[in-house]
Amino acid sequence: MSIEVSMHEDEFKAGRALGLDHRKLGVWLFLSSEIMFFGGLLAAFLHYKINNPSPAEHALLDVTLVGINTFILLVSSFTVVLGLDAIQHGNRRRLVLFLGLTMLLGAGFLAGQGNEFVTLYRHGMTLKSSVYGSSFFTLTGFHGLHVLIGILWAGLTLRKAAIGRYDDGRYTGVELFGLYWHFVDIVWIVLFTLIYLT
Amino acid sequence: MTVEAQIAQEKPNWRRYFTWNTDHKVIGVQYMVTTFFFFLIGGALAMLIRSELAQPGTDILNGVQYNRFLTNHGSVMIFLWIIPIWAGMGNYFIPLMIGARDMAFPKLNALSFWLIPPAGLIMLASFFVGAAESGWTAYVPLSVAAPFGQTLWAVSVILLGTSSIMGSINFVTTVLTMRAEGMGFWDLPLFVWSMLATALMVLVATPMLTAGLVLIAMDRLVGTLFFNVPAGGDPIFWQNVFWFYSHPAVYIMILPGMGIISEIFPVFSRKPIFGYKAIAFSSLAISILGLTVWAHHMFASGMNPALRVPYMITSMIIAVPTGVKIFSWLGTIWDGKLSFTTPMLFALGFISMFLIGGITGIFLASIPVDLHVHDSYFVVAHLHFVLFGGAVSAVYAGLYYWYPKVTGRMYNEKLGKTHFWLNFLGTNLTYLPMFVAGLLGMPRRVVDYAPEFASYNMLATIGAFLLGISTLPFLYNAIVSWVRGPKAGSNPWRALTLEWQTSSPPPEHNFEDTPVMTRWPYDYGESPLAEPGVAPAAGD
Amino acid sequence: MKERTIFTVIILSLVLITVGYLVATQVDFSWLLPAQASSRAVLVDRLFRVMMGIAAVIFLIVEGALVYAVLRFRRKPGDDREGLPVHGNNTLEIVWTLIPAVIVAVIGIYSYRVLTDVERKPSDPLVVRVIGQQFAWSFEYPDSGVKSSVLHLPVDHPVQFQIESRDVIHSFWVPAFRVKHDATPGQIDELVLTPTEIGTFPVRCAELCGVGHAAMTTEVKVESQEDFQAWIDSGGTLVSSATTAAGSGTDNSAATASAPELLVQFGCGACHSLSAASLAGIVGPALDGIGTWGADRVEGQDAQTYIRNSIVEPNAYVEKGYAPGVMPQDFSTRISQEQLDVLVSYLASQ
Repeated sequence: MSIEVSMHEDEFKAGRALGLDHRKLGVWLFLSSEIMFFGGLLAAFLHYKINNPSPAEHALLDVTLVGINTFILLVSSFTVVLGLDAIQHGNRRRLVLFLGLTMLLGAGFLAGQGNEFVTLYRHGMTLKSSVYGSSFFTLTGFHGLHVLIGILWAGLTLRKAAIGRYDDGRYTGVELFGLYWHFVDIVWIVLFTLIYLT
Repeated sequence: MTVEAQIAQEKPNWRRYFTWNTDHKVIGVQYMVTTFFFFLIGGALAMLIRSELAQPGTDILNGVQYNRFLTNHGSVMIFLWIIPIWAGMGNYFIPLMIGARDMAFPKLNALSFWLIPPAGLIMLASFFVGAAESGWTAYVPLSVAAPFGQTLWAVSVILLGTSSIMGSINFVTTVLTMRAEGMGFWDLPLFVWSMLATALMVLVATPMLTAGLVLIAMDRLVGTLFFNVPAGGDPIFWQNVFWFYSHPAVYIMILPGMGIISEIFPVFSRKPIFGYKAIAFSSLAISILGLTVWAHHMFASGMNPALRVPYMITSMIIAVPTGVKIFSWLGTIWDGKLSFTTPMLFALGFISMFLIGGITGIFLASIPVDLHVHDSYFVVAHLHFVLFGGAVSAVYAGLYYWYPKVTGRMYNEKLGKTHFWLNFLGTNLTYLPMFVAGLLGMPRRVVDYAPEFASYNMLATIGAFLLGISTLPFLYNAIVSWVRGPKAGSNPWRALTLEWQTSSPPPEHNFEDTPVMTRWPYDYGESPLAEPGVAPAAGD
Repeated sequence: MKERTIFTVIILSLVLITVGYLVATQVDFSWLLPAQASSRAVLVDRLFRVMMGIAAVIFLIVEGALVYAVLRFRRKPGDDREGLPVHGNNTLEIVWTLIPAVIVAVIGIYSYRVLTDVERKPSDPLVVRVIGQQFAWSFEYPDSGVKSSVLHLPVDHPVQFQIESRDVIHSFWVPAFRVKHDATPGQIDELVLTPTEIGTFPVRCAELCGVGHAAMTTEVKVESQEDFQAWIDSGGTLVSSATTAAGSGTDNSAATASAPELLVQFGCGACHSLSAASLAGIVGPALDGIGTWGADRVEGQDAQTYIRNSIVEPNAYVEKGYAPGVMPQDFSTRISQEQLDVLVSYLASQ
């Protein structure tokens, strides 16, 4: 039989003395590893973009559409901020509302990305059409995967909020989700800049 | 009945080691036993390799089998043995050493462990579908065209890297947020410092390997062109991505071991560790510098010639913090009262053999010399001196040192000493001749070689068999002593770190009362048979 | 610090420096190193010696201290006292941080100077293309059009290698020259050196390239300018009298090599086995008995024709169980007619 013992809050006194919440620290450390992962994929993209450019394929990229998409993702980060603010003031229902909006906007972003991918494929730019194509789709594809995971995480957070797990004194879970979501957003801004705006 | 009472009543049995259990001590043992099992597999592969290489000619293995065995020997030893064994020891002892009840994220901890058996099985299963055969370095384009086992290999390594990253998230969070009251950073045992420095590298470097493996996997499975040379794919890019991880990886493989050595010398010299802060800083320095040297594996690759020089510089600079450690250890044992228990013997052997590995590392850092010995048996000798003579000695030192704490029983000292001498002799006999073979012109990863290298290979094979035999007294000792050895008390070594201030093995929550640090962990040399926690003493 | 300690330190330092100096200058390391056949080798070996001298000193200091401590500071039975409560020594720690830093700086600077020395671009080098493929090296001389599986070089003349690969990464290593350079597909890398000793030295592949990696060896023959020119003028077919088997005593330097020599020269043993010629490759079909079974393979081809076609057009018929595209496709350009005739009649007699 495995006995699971819940960790008492005063286990983490040393952390609080440093101003650290252990769950947030854990998520930050996780995000740092994610930054390095995206760094690797981004390095591949940039290496090949510089050494093996595909100007014809680069010209196929739809800056306007994806720009709008980027804006949608930015707004979704804003809705997370609004949701966190709501629960910090004890408003559970507004938190649920904003989390739901975040999920919708995230899904909208994915739909837009899907549209871009399909259009590019129709024009002959694919994972296999060139090294540029390989790195473009791999990099943006993995980002999309992270957005999808974020939407699922948002859903879990929303459910917890709906059944009353958060209030104006307990909302770390929402903060943790927020950290991840903002990270995914910031990664996208970097990607959008380096892929679409250069 | 309350949970606490249930815990007090339950008698732990061996079955829990085969289940999902979030107790860091159970997880620690799971790690240690599982990784040791893979060590034996890696060792068996080595025995086959050395049997083939005993004489010139391809007698036992053909070229295909040989390449698969050498690839999996390296991969198993690195990813399934030496990197995770430190995670296992860290798991067991970090919470104890800092006075915590468990790790910060017990469920994540269990998950980190449980990724390992399936990953290991996947890597071994690859033998049935055409194992990976491009070396653990998997250079492209060779690895992209390799049989299906190479994909399984990539999946396995990704899983193991994930486990490693999860473990490091846990270690850093635990150390930063769960230290006992009164334990500041300059009161941390040096093993904990070494694990922190290691975790830093794991978090920064491992994901880069994951990204690279994803690229290879996509080339193999989906037909992307990352490493397709006619389409513009770049083999050198893989080398950069791979070594960005794999160089820090070697420090990941050694730093925790160095931390253990720093624990052992004070206890068996009855003196404080010499230069505590210098050693702590040197771990961080190695960790950070270690992230800047990777291209010294690529001096012959055709990389930008001008860029080679900065890497030579950083690679040589790393010798300085390493030297600080070695000299500090010497300073620790100097003028002490030395007891030559088995852990102490392994620690002394560590210095002796790691020194050779470290010195030859400087040779390799020098570009003109490296252009001769790169990818030769000189490198094989160097890496085994640091990883086997070094890291594995440190593992054994730690296993013997902490054996009474984990099992509650004392191992047999005579068997331990026998193991040590066989290991020391075997290591030197196996790897010293390889330096010569490499300098004389024997390349790496060859199933056959010119007759001029025959005598060196024969010596190496004899040494390797000695090493194989040397594991027998250890296995016998470890197993039989656990069942029948004399009961060990809570502190058979009269050590001061917190893990020794609780029973052997520790109770479910590690400590009966919440521990408060009152004594610096290296405060030896104050008064005879000092009791920890009795007199507050000035730390350094 | 006590006077005695200072005295001991000074004496020990002098002894160690002397030992280091002797190791670097007097010890004979020739048993540890291959023949010294290039100007690079001379410089690299000197650097190696200096590093060995320094290594000897460091080794003696650390191992010496270790052994001394183990002998001198053993805890005597019954002595349960603690050791000295020494936490550190600032002076000592600074010294043992700075001195290694200085040592590695010296080694680094010296290495850098050797590097720039050996990589200096020569004027008017002989250009040789080095082509690696699974599992054989081939060399081409753009100036004369000669192609060969054995590398010939004139002594004391700088050479610029242009190194490339046809498939995976290989590594062109000549231990006697003290240098290697990877052959990477998709790029051509340059390597310069000047051979300084006449002789025959091994060339080995130093990057795992597949099943035939260990067999991917050939030779470099460093020759006098005249011999080299004669070899070039012969179209690369000349085999020097030094390597003709069973010396006939005559100066037969214009004769075509024997079949077993050709099999070695063109690296057939990397992939094929043939007991009569002591070849043991396993990548390609075994050649024993090919004089007999070669006649059954292709309709209308006798053994001789089959063997000849298999060499010059390997993909035309591929033995069952083997893949096309593995055997080099360019033997027709590298093996002369005379050499081909010798090979075919030899193999047909197997």
